[in-house]
Amino acid sequence: MSSEVKEFKIKWGMVIDIDKCTGCGACMVACQAENNVAPAVDGSNKLRSLNWLTVFRLSNHKPFPDHEVAYLPRPCMQCGKPSCVAVCPVVATDKREEGGIVSQIPPRCIGCRYCMASCPYHARYFNWYDPKWPGDLAQALTPDVSTRMRGVVEKCSFCHHRFMKAQEKAVANGQDPMNLPDGAYITACTEACPNGAITFGDLNNPAHKVHELIKSPYAFRLLERLGTEPQVYYLSKREWVRREGDNYLEHEKTGEARKQG
Amino acid sequence: MDRRGFLKFAAGGTVGLVASPIIWNTLYDAVYWTQNWGWIPRLKKGASEYLPTVSKICPSGTGFLVRTVAGTPVRTIGDRNNPVTHGAITALAAAEAELRVSPARLKTPLRRSSDGAYIAITWAEAERLLKEKMQAAGSSVAAVSGDPTSSINEVLSSMLNQKGSSDFYFMPGDEQPAALAWEAMGGQGRLGYDMEGSDCILAVGAPVLESWGVVAANRSLFNRTHPVGGEATQKFLYAGAVQNNTAAGADLWLPMKNGTDMALMLGIAHLLIKAGKKGFAAGLGNFAAFVEAYTPEKVSAITGVPSARLEAAAKMLVEARRPLVIAGSALGSGGSAGPVMAAVALNMLLGSVNRQGGMLDMPFPVSVVDHATEYRATIAKRFVDYTQSVAAGKTKAPAFLLVYAANPVYSLPADAGMKETLAKAGFTVAVASFMSETCAQCDLVLPAALGMEAFDDVQTPYGSGRVTYALARPVAKPFENARGAGELFIALAQELGLELGVKDMPELLYKHAYALGAPFRSMMEEGKVHVAGFDLPASPLFYNWEAIRLAASAPGAEGDLQVAPVVVLGMGTAQTAIPPFATKVVTDYQLKGRYSVAQMNGATAAKLKVKAGDLVRLVAGNNVEITVVAAIFEGILPDTVSLAAGLGHTAFDEFSKGKGANVLALTSVCREPGTGLPVWGLAGVKAARA
Repeated sequence: MSSEVKEFKIKWGMVIDIDKCTGCGACMVACQAENNVAPAVDGSNKLRSLNWLTVFRLSNHKPFPDHEVAYLPRPCMQCGKPSCVAVCPVVATDKREEGGIVSQIPPRCIGCRYCMASCPYHARYFNWYDPKWPGDLAQALTPDVSTRMRGVVEKCSFCHHRFMKAQEKAVANGQDPMNLPDGAYITACTEACPNGAITFGDLNNPAHKVHELIKSPYAFRLLERLGTEPQVYYLSKREWVRREGDNYLEHEKTGEARKQG
Repeated sequence: MDRRGFLKFAAGGTVGLVASPIIWNTLYDAVYWTQNWGWIPRLKKGASEYLPTVSKICPSGTGFLVRTVAGTPVRTIGDRNNPVTHGAITALAAAEAELRVSPARLKTPLRRSSDGAYIAITWAEAERLLKEKMQAAGSSVAAVSGDPTSSINEVLSSMLNQKGSSDFYFMPGDEQPAALAWEAMGGQGRLGYDMEGSDCILAVGAPVLESWGVVAANRSLFNRTHPVGGEATQKFLYAGAVQNNTAAGADLWLPMKNGTDMALMLGIAHLLIKAGKKGFAAGLGNFAAFVEAYTPEKVSAITGVPSARLEAAAKMLVEARRPLVIAGSALGSGGSAGPVMAAVALNMLLGSVNRQGGMLDMPFPVSVVDHATEYRATIAKRFVDYTQSVAAGKTKAPAFLLVYAANPVYSLPADAGMKETLAKAGFTVAVASFMSETCAQCDLVLPAALGMEAFDDVQTPYGSGRVTYALARPVAKPFENARGAGELFIALAQELGLELGVKDMPELLYKHAYALGAPFRSMMEEGKVHVAGFDLPASPLFYNWEAIRLAASAPGAEGDLQVAPVVVLGMGTAQTAIPPFATKVVTDYQLKGRYSVAQMNGATAAKLKVKAGDLVRLVAGNNVEITVVAAIFEGILPDTVSLAAGLGHTAFDEFSKGKGANVLALTSVCREPGTGLPVWGLAGVKAARA
């Protein structure tokens, strides 16, 4: 448990271009299918259903006809200084592996939900009920991700199993598993987005597209001034969208935190 | 025992207990069993394969890789090598591996018994019954297909033709009114849209980024023309009543009242002519004189679109090098021909017809099955005219009615006469993959394999600007007792002694590939997709201003409020309902518990004296009443409520059944002036707090 920002040679990150997202939900479907998240009969109940990735609708809060809409997909931010890790009493969640992905070990979780309370992004979900795949639905479970049980917390893992597979493949091909080429490892949501709104890669690697994208003047992170150092960046040319990313006072401008930081 | 002895015993016992595994094992078991659940899913282990094919349940024929583990599909992933969809996948196609095994999936043939309950029967019995009933029906047979891109339609139409019936229909879609409009304006081929070649697209009413046309291809194009963090190379404008998913991707949203598409486009035509855009063709003078009255002020009053935005849209079209105007319906069915005629006229003014980035005269799909009806002829037929006529007793009800890959009981308005036609028909058969509302009314229900389980194909879907041909290949075994519909119909035709000229589905697909010059072997073995070239003919298009004038005279919906339906593919289609893995894509501004959510802007809510979360009763002109939950959303016109389509199912499974209301229940069939086309989608309602 540390209050320092954890740095790694490889830092997997995501850049989501909000101006390209139209909220179709293909990323959410792909995420659930890839990670064996059980389906919910009443998915409209957002308090009790589990989503490792949720698409939120944003509004510029202006009345008709000046209203504008945007969609914001929210995975786990894989924070550089994750508040969830600091509060977990049983080290069921940690950030210590090369790649900078915040881990979650369901069998170790005791279900206290401190991590949920501490996560400013509401990216963590609790299994209130036994997960169910009615009928023959369990036939479509993927072999990559264990199913979780009632009473534990779960969250987005940046499809960590794909990282491991990409490393194994690199080793098998005689390549350096610590220097994967751009695109060798991407998450299921990145792969599924038909609009190409999500770009995934190593934020530290100049050969990866995300390395440049995060330097854009239009890039921002959610609640950036909390100092959690998320590894998920967003892009939008619309000022009102960027303002939605944090709690700004009227006179404050977006992007100041990054300049200082 | 003395005191010292007791202490020794206690200390020894404690140490022994702590050192023994009893406590830890008990604790472990307590944790294990309290966190355990009754049934533990086992992950399937085995070799993974990624096999390319196309989706047959996604209307855009998404190309995907089916990931199988030890032969069982577990994922569908967009196929980057597909030259049509370029790796883009829809929320529906992304859920197909799970839909394959969903609780609503039909597992075995079912026959309705005398008490109304379904009993499982064998395929042998089902085939015997099919043969008997079809033979006995003579020429009194009818069929409807909900999959216009499949060659299986040719088999069905051929069978009916040989039996002496011409009653083979497609389910109503966006293409029927478009075909009518294109022909009325002088088009000789099939209407296509070269969206890829355009640098500025105006979509009027057509949600091109969510449900209209070849959605996966449209989204892939949006991706390529809008680089991440970079400058877009294509401008995109959308006109519709609601700021839906398509509007979210648009550079400019034109908030247009439901059903005023024509007025909007005629207003833009007025501005284009003023700006000197006068693509010459016969009838230009009359058309220009007709649109003279559609001034921005008048159009703004009719449509609700602020005149400044109207002028901005016209300016963007004028300044574009290859502008394209597309018109379509929000629901994907029941639309009018008039708006498409107006869109054709706009493209003619802009010189965007039969050129790169414009509307195209494309070849129709060809038929290769003997005695089959040509696609062009089938698309011209109107299923709702037939069902209404049967319901009214003007046309004799068929002795044998087959519904293939369609759910007309759910997807047509109540007064379309579908339920009555099913009730009057002698023997009804549904060939479907899921237990739909239509299946629940048929005498015989046959489980059809999905595209990933059987041979099928996707011929150029409507909305494309290129001639494309893709094969659906069986990359997995059919689920339970399901069977490929194509093979079933071909076997039935052979049993009945009908001549098709093909002996099985691979031969049928081969003939199609051959006709298009497509590489059949690589398509079959590697899942390659063929894109064919075609010559652009010089269609003698003309401004059919009289047809436009007639269509523009159509009355709007009655009632205090307009209903604007919003279709999202994540909620599935009428044939699939909501896929289990897409229930979470359904938002709390679309569905709240068992109620549909009606979105309205603050001014409308104030007028109705409702606030967010209130229950509201909506009463339509056809006296259908539904209760909805109010939600405030400013991206919607005043006096308009938006309802999500795809809800209100009474069949399928727990993921769809009993959730919200079917927006189609609020609509009624009426006839478009001039064309006489049966149209719906316009619903006016009265609202009051429940």
